[in-house]
Amino acid sequence: MEEKKGTKCCGGFLAFVLGFLLSVVAGWVLFPGMLYSELDQPIPFSHKIHVEDQGLTCDSCHFFREDGSYQGLPTNEQCSGCHSEVVGQTQAEAKYVQEYVQKNKEVPWLNYQYQPDNVLFSHKAHEPFECTECHPDVAKADKAPKYYENKLSGYSKQTMKMWQCERCHAENGVSNACHVCHK
Amino acid sequence: MGLDRRAFIKFIVGGAAGTLFTPIPWKLADDSSIWSQNWSWIPRLKSGAVTADATYSKLCSAGCAVKVKKVGGLAFGVKGNADNALSQGGVCPLCANGAQMLRSPARVAGPLKKDGSAFKAISWDEAEALLADKLKGLKGQSGKVAAISGDGSGTANEVLSGFLAGLGSSAYYYMPSDQTTMAKAWNGIMGGSGQIGYDLEGADLVLCIGADIMDAFGPTVRNQKAIAAKRPIEGDKTVTLLYAGPVRTRTAAVADTWVPVSPDGGAAFALGLANLLIKSGKGASLGGFGEFAELAAKFGPDAVEKAAGVKTEALMTVAKALLMAKNPVVVVGSGSGQGGGVALAAAGVALNALLGSLTVLPEFPKAVSHAPDRSGLLAKDVVAWLADVDAGKAPTPEVLFVYEANPAYALPQAAAMAKTLDKAGLLVSFSTYMDETAALADLILPAPHPFERLDDAQSPYGLGKATYLLATAVAAPEKDCKSTPDFILGLAGKLGVDLGFGAFEDVLKAKVQAIGADWDALAAGGAFVSDRKGSAQADLGASALAKAAAAPKAQGTLLAALDHLNIGTGALATPPHALLTVRDTELYGKDLFVQMCAATAKSLGVSEGAKVKLTAGGSEITARVALNEGVMTGVVAAPLGLGRTAWDPFTKGKGDNVSKILAVSAEPGTGYSVWAGSAVSVAKM
Repeated sequence: MEEKKGTKCCGGFLAFVLGFLLSVVAGWVLFPGMLYSELDQPIPFSHKIHVEDQGLTCDSCHFFREDGSYQGLPTNEQCSGCHSEVVGQTQAEAKYVQEYVQKNKEVPWLNYQYQPDNVLFSHKAHEPFECTECHPDVAKADKAPKYYENKLSGYSKQTMKMWQCERCHAENGVSNACHVCHK
Repeated sequence: MGLDRRAFIKFIVGGAAGTLFTPIPWKLADDSSIWSQNWSWIPRLKSGAVTADATYSKLCSAGCAVKVKKVGGLAFGVKGNADNALSQGGVCPLCANGAQMLRSPARVAGPLKKDGSAFKAISWDEAEALLADKLKGLKGQSGKVAAISGDGSGTANEVLSGFLAGLGSSAYYYMPSDQTTMAKAWNGIMGGSGQIGYDLEGADLVLCIGADIMDAFGPTVRNQKAIAAKRPIEGDKTVTLLYAGPVRTRTAAVADTWVPVSPDGGAAFALGLANLLIKSGKGASLGGFGEFAELAAKFGPDAVEKAAGVKTEALMTVAKALLMAKNPVVVVGSGSGQGGGVALAAAGVALNALLGSLTVLPEFPKAVSHAPDRSGLLAKDVVAWLADVDAGKAPTPEVLFVYEANPAYALPQAAAMAKTLDKAGLLVSFSTYMDETAALADLILPAPHPFERLDDAQSPYGLGKATYLLATAVAAPEKDCKSTPDFILGLAGKLGVDLGFGAFEDVLKAKVQAIGADWDALAAGGAFVSDRKGSAQADLGASALAKAAAAPKAQGTLLAALDHLNIGTGALATPPHALLTVRDTELYGKDLFVQMCAATAKSLGVSEGAKVKLTAGGSEITARVALNEGVMTGVVAAPLGLGRTAWDPFTKGKGDNVSKILAVSAEPGTGYSVWAGSAVSVAKM
């Protein structure tokens, strides 16, 4: 009887530990991969070609409008300034011109840091910061970064969360009152 | 060591405990909360460049020069165009809601054909083929093809009326308005040419007889701006505003003096003033002055008091003010913007002629040469025509086009008029919205919303100078609509009717060129204003006026229907946002309220809030009583624009349609249909 009790106690503890460890491993290793879908942009885009070869700067395409609002992802209006017709050799450009410019259809670019409508984010207010303090430095990238879409929320993995906003505000002495971001 | 039941449970418990040390529960909880923002019914904001594009909005009767605010190309708001002389940054309650009305649930999604009691969707090609087939056999048959237009200023009328003329029909009519009444008086009875105007900007005294210039008459925003410019909050007031009418309207509320005049007494009041002016030595160079002076002499103070309920002292005070003013202007009309008599309009012209303030605007040249003259069409009487159709005195149209109008709802004795409209072989509505006439129609060919189309306005009635404005498409089409004049031009081509143009844009370009305006400047929101004057040669029309003025006074309680822009027009139901501005004394819950003073209520045996039945013109409405000492004794005031039976959930079934009880009679001397100040029976329920 004594031996049986001891075995049960030991076996039960091991089962608990095993379950504990397996779930921890699954939670940290498998879960993130299962939560996100890995997507590519609808048109392969090379920042490198535009920046290094064509000499464009960030604000050639990502600029402030006259009223201070920010043109985040460029639209056909900007892109067709150069790409009203195919000017290069790449398949990606040909696809863009044929499927979007000529059909007067906007490219459904995947926005890595889309904020919901209940957040008012002003790029103008954050103009003193370098773009790369919040966004990945893609100026030299030949490929657009992979887009990881959260299967549940639909948002990008890179979307900045509220705690990140609050931390930066606190570090820079900016109010974290609700109305600062939620109008 | 086997995995027994107890060990398995501990394994699960361990797993659950371990999960708490992973991101799984916390991340899933966080993501679930974010997921809840993605429900399909949560509206999404459009992002993009914020712009404001200028156009001319024709949602109200006269129109407003506006800027349509857009984000990423999507219209979301409207503001007045400060650069346009007509609106000067102001906007009326209807045009202010123009962006919301782009997405009204009442919008017609595409061409519809009546199929039993419902509609079925058809293509534009099918609609054109159907109409072409029907019209082919009617070519050359007088009166078999007819049209009713509610657009008093657009060149689209030239296309439609020219098309009818090409088919051999002259049955083109405008919806009744103060403009049509004045056209009947000035262009018809008095034999004048051009259009009567009112130089409010140059006036130092404005006398409104019936015309509610701040709310219902003409271009209200321009009227408000013209008066406000001379009545600054600080500084000297350089214009006096007088209002004469049965109800303390929104114009009366801001006027220096309100002179209560019975709803059918406007002409007598005007003739009484003319009499006093003539006695003071004023004269007019218009024909028939002697005869007119003899007529006016019959309207001494006692006669005016009897006919209009105006005390001698009040009449003398107004006459004195007119004589003292350097540039007085008299504006005549009806509180409801329709149904006023030709006598009042002619008396108004005579008063301005006596005061040296008669303003005549020249007509702009036509673009469609085959089209009948605008002034002649405006002078026609649609109500009399429909009565003739109903009585079998005029041919029943085989095809009846309805453009920018809602006659089944807005004509007087609306229920009877709707029955007559329904007699048409094929009733074709070009309405943007599912209004009462569209619901009755056999074919609905939706016109684009005013922000989605090319259109124009030539001298909206009420202005003091000949003015031309252009409306351009500033919003992307939300529905499968087609510009009505473009559709008609296509149809004309199929039927071999040559209007000289293939597209409406070319018509407007020809118009702009003919008047010497600059297309680009107009398209950018500018107004072409001409200083040219029209001919003021005409006859005072005293003989017709004498018969009209001698008409027996209506007996009993009189109805003063009121047109309020915030409630809507016949052609446009109250926009959802404007519904909140309708007063509790006009509509409360689903009850319409009619207003009367305590003395009238006492004589009728009713009290505040009492439910009453109003009967006139073979129809009845129900309402509740609101006491208002701003209504003359013996008069019941009631707001138009409510009691919709079509449209959307916001307006349908709210209140009752006062147009149903506007009793029509033929004005003696002119034969013109009138209903302002008609008698009404009020009974407690």
